[in-house]
Amino acid sequence: MTPRVAVLRQQSFEAQPSISVERAVLVTQFYQENYGKYSTPLLRALNFKNLCRKKTIYIDPNELIVGERGPYPKAVSTFPELTCHSVEDLNILNSREMTRYLVSAEAIETYKKEIIPYWQGRSMRDRVFSQVPPEWTAAYAAGMFTEFMEQRAPGHTALDGNIYKKGMLDFKEQIARSLTGLDYLNDPEAPDKAEELKAMEISCDAAIIFAERHADLALKMAASEAEPQRKAELERIAATCRRVPAHAPRDFWEALQMYWFVHLGTITELNGWDAMSPGHLDQHLYPFYQKDLADGALDRESAKELIACFWIKVNNQPAPPKIGVTAQESGTYNDFTNINLGGLTRDGADGVNEVSYIMLEVIDELHLLQPQANVQISHKTPDRFLKKACRVIRKGYGYPSVFNTDEVIMEQMRTGKTIEDARQGGCSGCIETGSFGKEAFVLTGYLNVPKILELALNDGIDPLTGKQIGPQTGDPSKFRSFGELYTAFDRQLQYIADLKIRVNNYIERMYAAYSPAPFLSVVIRDCIANGRDYYNAGPRYNTNYIQCCGIGTVTDSLSAIKKHVFDENEISMKQLLAGLHNNFEGQQALRLRLVNKTPFYGNDDDYADSIMQRVYETLFKAIDGKPNTKGSSYHLNMLSTTCHIYFGKKLGASANGRLATMPISDGTSPSHGADRKGPTAVIKSLGKMDQIKSGGTLLNQRFLPGVLEGDEGIENLAHLIRAYFKLNGHHIQFNIVDSQTLRNAQAAPDEYRDLLVRVAGYSDYFVDLDRNHQEEIIARTEHESF
Amino acid sequence: MIGKTMSVDAVVAEITKDTVFYDESCGGVTISGGEPLMQPSFLIALLEACGELDLHRTVDTSGYADTQALLKTATCTELFLYDLKHMDPEKHYRFTGVSNEKILTNLKHLSRQGAEIVIRFPVIPGFNSDAENIDQTGAFVSSLPGISRVNLLPYHCAAVAKYKNLGLNFKTADIQQPSREYLESIARRLKNYHLEVKIGG
Repeated sequence: MTPRVAVLRQQSFEAQPSISVERAVLVTQFYQENYGKYSTPLLRALNFKNLCRKKTIYIDPNELIVGERGPYPKAVSTFPELTCHSVEDLNILNSREMTRYLVSAEAIETYKKEIIPYWQGRSMRDRVFSQVPPEWTAAYAAGMFTEFMEQRAPGHTALDGNIYKKGMLDFKEQIARSLTGLDYLNDPEAPDKAEELKAMEISCDAAIIFAERHADLALKMAASEAEPQRKAELERIAATCRRVPAHAPRDFWEALQMYWFVHLGTITELNGWDAMSPGHLDQHLYPFYQKDLADGALDRESAKELIACFWIKVNNQPAPPKIGVTAQESGTYNDFTNINLGGLTRDGADGVNEVSYIMLEVIDELHLLQPQANVQISHKTPDRFLKKACRVIRKGYGYPSVFNTDEVIMEQMRTGKTIEDARQGGCSGCIETGSFGKEAFVLTGYLNVPKILELALNDGIDPLTGKQIGPQTGDPSKFRSFGELYTAFDRQLQYIADLKIRVNNYIERMYAAYSPAPFLSVVIRDCIANGRDYYNAGPRYNTNYIQCCGIGTVTDSLSAIKKHVFDENEISMKQLLAGLHNNFEGQQALRLRLVNKTPFYGNDDDYADSIMQRVYETLFKAIDGKPNTKGSSYHLNMLSTTCHIYFGKKLGASANGRLATMPISDGTSPSHGADRKGPTAVIKSLGKMDQIKSGGTLLNQRFLPGVLEGDEGIENLAHLIRAYFKLNGHHIQFNIVDSQTLRNAQAAPDEYRDLLVRVAGYSDYFVDLDRNHQEEIIARTEHESF
Repeated sequence: MIGKTMSVDAVVAEITKDTVFYDESCGGVTISGGEPLMQPSFLIALLEACGELDLHRTVDTSGYADTQALLKTATCTELFLYDLKHMDPEKHYRFTGVSNEKILTNLKHLSRQGAEIVIRFPVIPGFNSDAENIDQTGAFVSSLPGISRVNLLPYHCAAVAKYKNLGLNFKTADIQQPSREYLESIARRLKNYHLEVKIGG
């Protein structure tokens, strides 16, 4: 780490996220003056231009890559046109324990006087909630599902290599051609397309203005800079900002700054969740790296410094504040910029290059919250790269996460993408598959699958509130077979999934009509050619995902009911239901039997795993292929982020012995503590899921640092990953646990059944060791954390 | 009784579940115990079945076994992990309940038959880690044809909790676990006999 990077990193690390009302004020003033004068796309584009022209700009005395969304690092903009925070919301943000944002008294005053009076009833959130049907509201309140567009715009975008070959002026030429080609005689949408294209044109100008202002500021700073080296740097920054994004970048520095201006543009225009990602950044930068090295304009160390400066810029942008259910489903400052390293190139060659290795070094040295990075491992990826990634994983940051490129490509081929577009795709946000730069792959919300089983066990009634949420599928104590129960579950699922999709389609049209994103549309392929917005079927591909949570919990619960109630007739349905309703109070024997005598998912046991396969197939049938409003369709995704905790709070006790309000299983991981046969058995179970039919699965694995010690530990980890990918696993990530977790494990051993520890020349389960051994391992681990 | 009765087919079915991991890591099956040679016909049937599946086969043995059975096992085993606890017959008897004579003879036979063998030496302070025994072990192993690898297994007390849970007294709980330096000094001494020594295994 160079001294410059060390300073920037420390500043970024220490800065407290705070709310800046600047954007809210500018947008409100703009809407007050201009609403009604223009078409919606033009209004949005002019609003964006107004922001680019007026927002405070900032250049830190040390930085090389410039530009912030807020007026200074970690000052977070708000988006009242999407969600207008109330005074109460702002007070909560300022005082809550988790993911707090500092909000000044003046900011609250401004909101009270200027922002709230204008946006109340006009924000997208207010519009959406005033229109949804009561049955949706009831299901939403019961925690059956969440809604991504409730306070954020549809987002989830990653870019391809286009912006490194074309500048905004080139895009403007394309837009002009598309405008000229409009057929007003035969295309009834031509006038709408014209408005959208004009909006895109204005957005290109806006981005150029934003960069020019940085160039001016840099020159001004250079003029008064006494130190010659910094003076030269500032002049270089100015020259770079004059060049990009107006024109295509010519060198490494310009390429990074190009991406950063585009990134800032998209997250200033709107608050699309999962901000924005550069996609295969190593592949995009590599030609510039090679050229600069050959020219002698750059060496490896200075390239690394520029990358580190870029990394810190991403860390300076915490996610805009979330409230309510959205804060619970995704409770983090992380805005989910996720950079893909490695993978394959467009023509199918190995995508790993020297920049990929440099980036691994940068994430290791900086270890900041953002951006996330993942490694894309294909059958062509060299072991050297995988092992270098494993060495970073071993540090215990939880990243890079690891993806199976071959699988990610097959998932996209299944849904009809070309092989080239699929190879240029990858994973963004957390684990979501998409074709970068060519697709709107919109997450619509999480689905509480164990809660759907709970409805089936209660004739459609939510036992927590007593309200009828789903259809009446019969008194479960009268079910004569497991098949009858399963049919009830399937019917509840169909109903809830359809309810979710119906309202999603409605919200989708609301965004297309009221909140287009013309700047984002410029950089996503085919929007210009189609004359359509990113939110209105402009991109080449348009996918909607519903993320199904808790496959571990629901599988284990069904497995328990099948085995104990129907196969072995040793627990009656009435007995079981009574246990669930009472949260197993006074029925500890029943609970222990369910916990200890049931085959659970994650142990390579076909009894449980075949139930998982059946549930997965049922979810697939309920969701996959259902039409969205963009001529494309919904697909299955198996992500939970932090939603498994929220969904758990909304769920009574479950038949796998889980107590009421406890978290449900995360992603596609086994239930907490259910996997007792080690990581290879987990991987075998996951390998039975037909993951190609999803848009992503998520597997968390937890190890103690000692397990991965030495070259052998790295070899073993790499083998485990390769073996999982051979079984068509989509993704795996590792927690290398700390002492605090081990302390928690001592306090609640049942929840940490699966925690492997390295004892001596072998591994054992932590909770199976005696106290002294545990203490010894805790002491060792603490040494290792320095 | 702890455990359960399983057929060869059932064990093979369990083993083949992990084929993907053997393939990926060039791994294979290690049959340990207890003492697998206590059940020689089952062991050989299992090894032959694994051979049909092209799995790499390792047998982890104390060497206290019927010689004929051991030599027959060698025809269907790629690698032996062979324990040598002590070179002195009397001390061996006192601590394990049997003399080491058969163990040493078996090892000679096995090595002459050309089996690939890694010696495993459990380092138990106060029992077998004195200079004299190390030297005798080194001299003996290096005299055998084709054996050059020794793994030092540091003594540990991991079983204390398990014994306690079973209501049993763990007799060697007071033995100290050997330090890294101590293990390295033993490794150095053994290397004098032209052996490849690894700590752990």
